[in-house]
Parts: sequence; C-alpha cells; structure tokens
Amino acid sequence: MPEASEKSKEITEMLHAWSEGKPEALDLLLPFVYEELHRQARRYLRREQENHTLQPTALINEAYLKLIEQKGVRFESRTHFFAIAANLMRQILVDHARTKHRLKRGGVNSDLPLEEALLVTADEKNIDLIALDEALNRLGKMDVQQARIVELKYFADLTLQETADVLDISTATVKRDWQTAKAWLYREMTK
Amino acid sequence: MKSERWQKVKGLFDAVVELSPDERKSFLNQSCGNDVELRREVESLLESSEEAKSFMESPAVAEMADVIEGKSKKLEAGKSFAHYEIINQIGVGGMGEIYLANDKKLERKVAIKILNEKFAKHQSNLERFTKEAKAASALNHPNILVIHEIGESENAHFIVTEFVEGETLRQILNGKNLKVSETLDITIQIANALVAAHIAKIVHRDIKPENIIIRPDGFVKILDFGIAKLVEQKAIGFEDETVNQNETAKGIILGTVNYMSPEQAKGEKIDERTDIFSFGVVLYEMIAGRTPFAGDSTSETFANLINFEPQPLSRFSSNVPDELDQIVAKTLHKNKDKRYQTMKVLLADLKDLRENLVFDEKLERSLPSGENATAKLPMVTVGKINQTSETNNNFIQRIKRDKSLAAVGLAILLISVFSFGYYFWSSGNSTSIPRGKKSLAVLPFINASQDPNAEYLSDGITESVINNLSQISNLTVMSRNSAFRFKNNQADNKSIASQLDVENLITGDIKQVGDKFIINVRLINGNDDSQIWGSQYIKNSGDLIAAQNEIAQSVATNLRLKLSDSEQQRLGKNYTANPEAYQLYLKGRYHYFKLIEPEIRKSIDFYEQAIAVDPNYALAFAGISDAYRTFPLAGWNMASKTAFPLAKAAAKKALEIDPDLAEAHIALGSIEFFFDWDWSESENELKKAIELAPNNSEAHRFYAHMLSNTGRHDEAVAEGKRARELDPFSLITNALEGQFLFYARRDTEAIDQIKKTLEIEPNFWIAHNALGRVYLRQERFEEAIAEFTKAKELSGSIAPIMQLGFSLAKSGRHEQAQATLAELKSLAIQNYVPAYYFAMLYHGLGEREESLNYLEKSFAEREVQLTFLKVDTHWDDLRREPRFQEIMRRVGLDKIPDSIAPNDGVKLYWQMSEAGQIAFIRAYEVRKIPPALGLYQAMIQSEYHDCPIHPHPSGSVGLFQFSRKTKAKYDLTPKGYCNIEKQSDVAARHMSDLISDFGEEKSSWTLALHSFNQGGDLTREQLRQLRGRGNTERSF
Repeated sequence: MPEASEKSKEITEMLHAWSEGKPEALDLLLPFVYEELHRQARRYLRREQENHTLQPTALINEAYLKLIEQKGVRFESRTHFFAIAANLMRQILVDHARTKHRLKRGGVNSDLPLEEALLVTADEKNIDLIALDEALNRLGKMDVQQARIVELKYFADLTLQETADVLDISTATVKRDWQTAKAWLYREMTK
Repeated sequence: MKSERWQKVKGLFDAVVELSPDERKSFLNQSCGNDVELRREVESLLESSEEAKSFMESPAVAEMADVIEGKSKKLEAGKSFAHYEIINQIGVGGMGEIYLANDKKLERKVAIKILNEKFAKHQSNLERFTKEAKAASALNHPNILVIHEIGESENAHFIVTEFVEGETLRQILNGKNLKVSETLDITIQIANALVAAHIAKIVHRDIKPENIIIRPDGFVKILDFGIAKLVEQKAIGFEDETVNQNETAKGIILGTVNYMSPEQAKGEKIDERTDIFSFGVVLYEMIAGRTPFAGDSTSETFANLINFEPQPLSRFSSNVPDELDQIVAKTLHKNKDKRYQTMKVLLADLKDLRENLVFDEKLERSLPSGENATAKLPMVTVGKINQTSETNNNFIQRIKRDKSLAAVGLAILLISVFSFGYYFWSSGNSTSIPRGKKSLAVLPFINASQDPNAEYLSDGITESVINNLSQISNLTVMSRNSAFRFKNNQADNKSIASQLDVENLITGDIKQVGDKFIINVRLINGNDDSQIWGSQYIKNSGDLIAAQNEIAQSVATNLRLKLSDSEQQRLGKNYTANPEAYQLYLKGRYHYFKLIEPEIRKSIDFYEQAIAVDPNYALAFAGISDAYRTFPLAGWNMASKTAFPLAKAAAKKALEIDPDLAEAHIALGSIEFFFDWDWSESENELKKAIELAPNNSEAHRFYAHMLSNTGRHDEAVAEGKRARELDPFSLITNALEGQFLFYARRDTEAIDQIKKTLEIEPNFWIAHNALGRVYLRQERFEEAIAEFTKAKELSGSIAPIMQLGFSLAKSGRHEQAQATLAELKSLAIQNYVPAYYFAMLYHGLGEREESLNYLEKSFAEREVQLTFLKVDTHWDDLRREPRFQEIMRRVGLDKIPDSIAPNDGVKLYWQMSEAGQIAFIRAYEVRKIPPALGLYQAMIQSEYHDCPIHPHPSGSVGLFQFSRKTKAKYDLTPKGYCNIEKQSDVAARHMSDLISDFGEEKSSWTLALHSFNQGGDLTREQLRQLRGRGNTERSF
C-alpha cells in the first residue's frame, strides 16, 4: 500500500532523527506508536482479564512486530525500539498523572475544607510520577545512561538482563546504576 | 551538579554501598579527605538508598491499564445506541464495557453494559444471561441495582441498569477500616438486599466490596445480581468449551477467593448460605481492614479458608462490641449448617446490635464529660454503664486514631454525618418507650351470653377498660385495634403477650343472666401465664358503667401503679350516668370500628340516640366528630366543607361538656390540622390529648401526621413509631408510619415499614397506595403502577385512581393517563372527586395552567389533601409558580419557624418555599451545619431559581468541592451564574477550574469566562443565552 509505506517511511525517518539526538522527533512519532500500544494493550486486557495484569514487555514486543510487519517501519534493532517504547511509556504515564493531578488540584486550595485537604494528601501515597519525571530529567542531564535505565526498568518493566541487552552494557552495571539512580531520585523527591 | 562531579559521587557510592557501616566510615574518611561536601552527598545517598528499597520496584505500568481503557472505548460520547445517547465510558468489566448514557425516551441517566463479542458468541451464554437478568430484574429492592432493560442493537447485546453515582466499597475501604457504626449502616443495607434476593430464591454468589456501591448520601446499592453467576460461568466456556471441571474450579478461584465460602472454593453446591459467608467476609474486612483468610498467594488463602479460623475482630479494632465478633464468627462458620441459616436472622441481629449501640451513644451524649454516669442515669443497669464508659474511652482513642489515619473517603464522612443526624434525633426525642415501664393489653372480653347481639357489650366493656387504663402515664396499654386482633383467637396467653410485647394481660368474659350481668376479669402475668389477680362482678345493667371503672381501679392497684391525683380522678370518672346512653354509645363504637361507609353512618345514628338520652354525653359527641371526619379522609362521598364543620361542632360540644376529654381533643386537633390548617392550635390540642391519654395511639398518630405534613419529619417519624408501638397491629398506623418515613425521604425504611404492614394484611389498599408513591418517586414506574392498580382494585376510594393516572403520565403513557382522567371525570358526575386529584393529574400531564386552576378550586373547597402540598414531592416542578406559592401561603404552609434545627433545615429547604429557604440559610450560617450533598443540591436549586433575588453561593461552592472529592461531575453551573452577578472574582476562578477539570472547551462556561475576562459584566440577558447553550436546562 503506497500510503502505508509513505507513513512508515516517515516513521522510520523520525526514529533515526531521534536516535541522532533530536528529541522533538519523538513527539511526532508518538501518536503512531501510541495507537499501536493501545491496541495491543486492549488485547492484553481482554485476554488477561482474570488477573488483570499487563505485561509491558510483551506489549512492546507485539507493538514492535506489528509496526514492522504491517507498516513496514524499520528500526535499527529491536532493542532500539524498546528504548523508544520505554520513553513513550514514560510520556504516557506522566501525561496521565498530570491529568489526574489537574483534576484533583483545582487551584483553590485555600477553599478546601479540612477533610478535602486530607483527602488530596492521602491520595498521593503512590509515586508522584510528575515529580519523578522532573527529577529524571535532571538525572538525565548528569547521567544519560542512568536515566535510560530507569525508563527501561521502571517505565517499560524490563528485567535487569533485558535492560542490559537494550543498552548493550553488563547486568552488573545496570544493577549498580539502578541502585544509585533509585537512591538519588528518592532523595530528590523527598527533599 | 556537573556530570564529572556526579560520576565521582556515584563511584564512591557504588564502592561503599556494599560495605558494612564501620567499613563505610573509614572508606569515606580515606577517600573524601577534606571534601566535606562530597562526603555529605555520598552519605545522604546512602541514607536514601536504605529508605528507597521498595521505591520503583513495581513497574509504573501498574497505572497504565486505566489510561488504555479510557482511550480505546468502542462508543464515543454523543453517539446514539438504541434509544440511548452515550455520555462516556465508565468502566471495563469482565463481560464488556460499561457506559454512562442518557435514556432519550425517559430522560434519565442509565448505565449500559455492552457484552463483549466473545461472551455473546455462545448461544448458551446468552440464554443464561437473559434468564439471570430476568430473575435479577424481578428483585424489587431499593438496595439492589435496578435492571431496566436487556436487548440487542448493532449486533451487540447489552444490559441497561440504573446509574448510581458513588464509590464502591472497595474504593472506600482501600486498605482502611471503618467504624462499627458506619459498618453497620452499610451492612444492614446489604443484608436487606440479600434478604429480598433470598426470598426470591436468588443467590448472589459474588458478594465483595467491588459489587457494593455507596452513594454519596450513604445509600447502598448491590450490583451484578445474577450476573455474578455468569461471570463465573465464563471461566467454564470462554476459551474452550471442553475445559474440564478441575480447571473450571481453578478459574473461579483465581478471581475472588478472598470472599468465597469454603463450599464455593471447593466447587461444591452452593446456596444462600454462601452469600452469608461472603457477607461475613466483607463485614470482617470493613472492621479489620483486611479479609479474614488473606494469604500471600491464592493457594495460601485457600488453605487458610479451609483450615484456619479467622482472628477475632477485637484484634484489629479496640472498640468492637462482643456481639459483633459473635455475629461475624457465626457468618464465617466453615460448616454451612452451623452458620446463620437465613439472612433474615442475621439482619435482625445486626439491627439489634445497631440499636444497642445507638442507645449507648445516646447515653454517652447525655453524659456531661467527667461526670459519674450512675448519678445521671438511674434507670440503666450497671452492665450498660460499664460498657458506656468503656465506649467513651474508645471514642477518644477513635478520634486520635482517625486523625492519624489522614483521610477517610468522603462518602464515609457523609455517612457519619448521616448517622450523627440519626443519633441526634433519637436522643432528642422523648417518646420512645422508657425501659422499666409496665405494659399491658386488655384482650377482648368474651361474650358468654347465648345472644350474639350482645357482642357490642363485651366489645364495649373491653374498650372502656382500655380507655380508662390508657390515661395512666406509668403504664403502656395496647390500643383497641391491636388487642382486638386476638378476638376469638385460640393462641395461649404467653404467646399473645409476646406478640404484643407486653408484660401483662387482662382477660374477661361477660354473661347476661336474667337482668344481671356477670363479669369475670383476670389479670395475667404474660411471662408465665400465672394469674396476678382475678375478680367477679355481678351487676345490674345500670351498674355496668361503674363496673368498668372498678375493673380499671383494681388493675391499677394490683399492678402497684402510682397514680397522680388527676389520673386517680379520671380513672373513676363516669362519662354518663345513664345505662341506656352507655349501651347506645357502645353500639355506635361497634359499628364505627367496622370502618366502612354505611357502618359509619349507622354509628352516627347510635351516637345521636345516645345523646338524645343523655345530652351531656361528651364521649358520644366525640364519636360523632370522629365519624364525620372519617368521610373526607377516606375519600368517601362527602366534601370537606360539609364534613368538617359538622365534625368540629361535635368536638367543640364535647369539650364544652368535658374539657379533659382526650378523645375530644384528638378530634378537634385533627380537624384544626386537616381543615382549619391552623398548625399551632392543632399541635396544642394533640399535645393536650397525649398528656391526658399518653397511651392513646390515635393521639400520637394524628400528631405525627400533622408534624409530617408541616415538614417536621424527624418528630413525625418518632411520633409515628410511638403510635405503632401502642397499636402494633393497626393497619392504618403501620401504613402511615411508612408514609411519614416517605415524606422524610427515608425511602428504604418507608418501603420496609409498608411491606411490614402488608405482611399483616396483604390487601390493605392504603399500604399499596403508599408503596406505589415511594416507587413513583424512585421512578420505578412499573412497580408504582402495579401498586396503584392493586390499591384501586382493593379500595372503593378515588385516591389510587389519581395516583395511577399520575404515574402513567409520568412514565410517558399519556394516552392511558388521559383515559384515567376521563374515568375520574365520569366518577365526578355522581361522586365528590377532590379538585386536588384533578390538579395532580393535570400536573402529571404537563398542563400547568389547568393544574393550578384545579389547585385553586381545591383551595376554595378547603380540601384536606391540600395539607400535603408542602411535602408531596410530586409538586416540586410547580413550586416556583407564583400561583402555587400563593396557595401555599394561603394554606399557611410556608411560615418561617422561629428557630430551625439543622436536619430540618435541609428538609425544609427542599420544600422550596422561599421563606423556608431563607430560614434555612440563616440556620445554616448560624449553626454551621456540616455539609452534605443534599444540602448543596438544595441550595443550588435555590440559586438556580432565585439567583436574581437572593443568590447564595455556598451551595455551589460546596457542591463544587464535593465534585472534586468524589471526582464526579455534578451540575455546577449555577455557581458561576450566580457568582458572576455577585462575586465575580470567585466565579472566574471557579469557572476556569471547571474548564481545566472537565475540559469543556466549548461549553457555556468557556464562553462565560471569556466574556468575563473581556472585562464586561455579563448582563442577565447574556447569561440567560449562555444557559440556553448548555446541554439541558437541568445542567444549570
């Protein structure tokens, strides 16, 4: 299909642009991959409704296959796609957290009666993804690899081994960097 | 931090993190040297590392699922599906997607579940689905989610249910636990629903917190009745029809083993006792904050369920009453034969427990802090007092713990506000039966004569003794109605005493021998059927009157009652000295109590004859008054304007002769209520009657009626309850208590009470009529129509015809409603049909002008029905009409109370008269009533209608915050609408918040804000135009 190939060419170009250090390229790519990820996720949800777990690794794998098979998108490697997908996952989740946060915040905190103020705080017991995202940006400026590890491990839920494969480094390094990144991020977020 | 610096920190951190604390110290001393900054950095990372052990260890994707679901729904907002318009997707369940939609035919919000294709593919699944949905929709209970429709459209099978806003119990619990009182409020409603289901032979099978929704007002709804079974079945047949039995069981277990009964988990046959077990698990979790058998894995949970007893609840919460632990233990018995066998018994135990706790709470409230309980409450047993002071301590702990708990879900807050209100009112009313008061029932004397016509005499003596004894304030005496239920009854005394819940019985017989009457009387101890006292009176017919007084005297003496001087006097009083008049009066009473029109006409004859013999016979005058009053009240063929003046003249005459005659005060008080619309005089009269005859059920009942119709609902319910306690088997008293609850907007209790009435007498039309009205308000049209049809068939009264027509009109069946209207009109040719009924029917048909015309006619006729104008919610749409308000004013139903209690404030507000609202707002501000949804909505309502007159932004602000908390979108628009005019800065802020919250880009809100930001005050006309652009009028 000519249109499909046109589109996939576009995607492929964007992927290259991204890997060459142009992060804005990813924004253009986002809707395409997003759509595919969602479609995959839906299938997973249906298939796994008994325990309602979602395995992002499998999800990304399938999305990858689909993009290649049906849309003819070229990636440098499967691991390359994983890196992108992990970054996308991060964006999706942080976006979601932002929406949720906005719904809750409302901007009239002085008006909140006591019980509501308590409610808002109590709801935040989970990890604050927005703060994490900001901290991760700062970490990325000091140490790109660590930031990438966090994306892969935390946002894309890869194992140590898979993370090591994608980044082409040793598992020991991943393990070490992961521990340091965790400590640093945790401190940043609890400051 | 620079990258190089970071690499240095990281390197050091990586190196020391594996070392022991001592080694770390020396390592850092060595490597950092004088670089204090570097050392501090590494140390702080080490510290964080300790704390961050579990940080980010579970993937971020845990939050992913709902994002994905939300973005990929099948049906988009605004799309039509069958006759529904999709509003948005609200969830994805095992069977398919769930959407919020608007029913375009009936203009109400509904939830639609669209079955997924996999499920619908199998014909057997579909059949089962249909069958189960049918069974579930037959469950007719307010605590069970109503199924409106099942059907097929666009190749999709769907099920439509009522839409309930609120949180699931799961969301509310969320790892927290609830207070005992909150738990009971919720579980009692669940139990109510399950009782109804089990009676219909439907087992839920999947009771768990996810299937229980708590509305913001505390009302509980159970979801997925019958459907639960299907979800379970899906494990059998979905992926592969040939899956064997073992795998099936495994499939089921995977889901919700936490709430399963042992027999369910083992795949054995299940029945309603499984629901009882699951219910117990939920109850347990609400108190303990965890399920009783929870293990780290499914298999561990399974093992716990089969092998181990749960820990007692008192391990988790310090103020768990022993009774609750016992109840829970009995629901969680592994052997189903040793469990509670029926939900009904379990429900009764929960209710008892709640009553005890309410009692304790009352006690607690009545204690000034630090004072000795014993000194204040001599009536209470020592055991209770101990328990109370313990409760007090726990209460303080509770408060402390609550503070540390941070937040409780809003719904829970509301529930506790609700319960607080309940306790508040219970402790404020003094009419409940005081403990330790003696109680007695006078059973109908047996007519031992050969002549059946002498029955009026045996009945009459009985009633006279009842009436005499009823004047004693220290004694509870069953009313005539309830006592007469045991006429010709073969039951033994012990069981009668227990059915009537009295300690003592009086039995007797009367026999005519020649011109003498022989009366035997016995006072019986109901506990053991032993005789306390007995006596024989032999009297001439002329001395019969004296005989009843003697009997009453002797009973009082033998029960060792202390009588005040005036009670002593009244007990010995003769209402007539003339034996013939007395006998004629007794005949009048005999006919009156048949309570049908011709018999009541006869009773008037006899009373008049009695008066002819003794012109000063006050009781006979009171009897005439009762009889006339009954005509317009029963909807018989006599206009109010004819009947009440006659009734009033008779009552006045009676009081002229005997100012202390309770019966006459009741008569006058009820006329002043129904006809004169003089509420304060009516109240005085009825209170006087209660003072004179504290055991007179009728006095309490009319008083309750007056309180209810004037909007004093809590007092009304308390009085209605007292009336029923004194006359537990009276149909009218029972049914009216339901009506009072209905007007108090306590629908669940109202339905319970009315159904209880129908248990006593299934063919009591007034109860069917009352039940229909509750259903009608809940928009359960089919059920309402069924009840009114039944009431119409059973009664000779016109009232149900009008109600039936109104329901037909409201449910959109205008043609049938028109036919009913025609029926009423043809009836009106020969009978008196109240104009009020026509007004209501025209109102139902949307003909405002005609409705108001008839209301004015009704006023001109002074129809009794107008006393319902204030509380009848059917009129709500008309309340803003100036003509309606004028009628309200003329009936006197919008007087501003001098002071107003918080709870009544909210209710008063709902009645929508302007004066009431102003009074309410004043009370709200002065007394700082805790906010509740109903209150906000009430205030919003007022803002909407009255904005230009007296805007009151608190309601909007309150509702706005409420929306935030519940994350549900309520109709918020009036706030800005009003605020723009009066408080523009607040309005602007709120509007922009709303837009960001709900993303209504092109809504009227954006326009309003835009216009506002342009610096212009919107004119009222512009605002009106903006309103027009909203979805519906209602959204403002």
